[in-house]
Amino acid sequence: IKETHNNHMNRDAQMKAILHQKLIETGERERLQERIRAKFLECGWKDQLQAHCRAVIQEKGVEQVNVDTLVAELTPKARALVPDSFKEELLQRVRTFLAQQVRP
Amino acid sequence: MKMEEMSLSGLDNSKLEAIAHEIYTDLVEDACLGLCFEVHRAVKCGYFFLDDTDPDSMKDFEIVDQPGVDIFGQVYNQWKNKECVCPNCSRSIAASRFAPHLEKCLGMGRNSSRIANRRIASSNNMNKSESDQEDNDDINDNDWFYGSEKKAKKRKSDKNPNSPRRSKSLKHKNGELSSNSDPFKYSNSTGINYETLGPEELRTLLTTQCGVISEHTKKMCTRSLRCPQHTDEQRRTVRVYFLGPSAPLPEAEGSVENDSFDVAESQALMSRLQWDGSSDLSPSDSASSKTSENGWGVGTNNSESRKTKKKKPHLSLVGAAPGLSSNKKKKPKPPAPPTPSIYDDIN
Repeated sequence: IKETHNNHMNRDAQMKAILHQKLIETGERERLQERIRAKFLECGWKDQLQAHCRAVIQEKGVEQVNVDTLVAELTPKARALVPDSFKEELLQRVRTFLAQQVRP
Repeated sequence: MKMEEMSLSGLDNSKLEAIAHEIYTDLVEDACLGLCFEVHRAVKCGYFFLDDTDPDSMKDFEIVDQPGVDIFGQVYNQWKNKECVCPNCSRSIAASRFAPHLEKCLGMGRNSSRIANRRIASSNNMNKSESDQEDNDDINDNDWFYGSEKKAKKRKSDKNPNSPRRSKSLKHKNGELSSNSDPFKYSNSTGINYETLGPEELRTLLTTQCGVISEHTKKMCTRSLRCPQHTDEQRRTVRVYFLGPSAPLPEAEGSVENDSFDVAESQALMSRLQWDGSSDLSPSDSASSKTSENGWGVGTNNSESRKTKKKKPHLSLVGAAPGLSSNKKKKPKPPAPPTPSIYDDIN
């Protein structure tokens, strides 16, 4: 029996779900988050983003601030500000983790 | 887990790569969300804009990055060569030494009261012990035995004879004393930090110690009569200086005479034992001749006793001890000699 496209998608979705679950269960996600927090602080990512916040808030007015607007404003900038080397480091760690899960 | 393994192995690399990117993006967005919450709370609580300053102040407090100056713009050793005039003693003091000087000068502050108390305590000790000795005749009999005791006692009672502070206070006192009384007898202190030296004590000291006055410290050497740092000539000079030309000289003649003294010494000691407790010779009587002889006798006795303390009980140190034990605590007086008997035998 040929598997349909949907089946493939379901299986992929299933696998993705399992992987995400593994990420959390092993504590790897937590470790990665810690690493990110430390790195962002020391490389100035946080400060730069905060300065951007200041500008945005002063522009829009203090009263208009809510979480959604902040997130919408900040996320693109946040992604852009990540140092390339660090991005590569993170990706490598994730790949290693995934490889371990697929073939322990 | 078998099912899982099968399904995972179905993934090819491109899919895994996509998943990796997805995970990465999730993580970064999580961090960003965390920051948003933080900022949002700060804004709503009102502390987000707290540390904003106007541009003028910002310029004033900017970090300074010049050579020779710290980040605040201050010069490092600006006050190094400045001098201040002390309001108390009107002396010009270096700036870095000004505070401690003021402490001493005004007599306030923790250390100065401590030092003052210590000085008072030690001067009280010495005054008290000196007056005791004059009253107690019994001690006069126990001369050379006491000589070593006295030295040991004085050494113990000092807090730290070698500390620089000690010599400072000494010098200060020496200056004061010499203006008061006979400078020759009283101005030189021993290494053991005597403040005043009576003539009797001086003689006793010279019979037990080297006594040669050091050039740089102006103090008498406290080592033994045979101390290698000074020659006999020096010792002789010091004794002549202090006690006059008739001063007894330690070990002037060498060992020959010591041997011949054995019999005489034991006789002298026997007679001394008889006189124990009743001394008709007070140190003030015909001081120079008696003490000079005594110094002679004591000098040899001491050297003998030091050499042979463990070996020759016939010197009856032990025998003499019981009579002396009650007096041990008091500082010994200059030796009161029953020594005429020694010289009788010789002459």
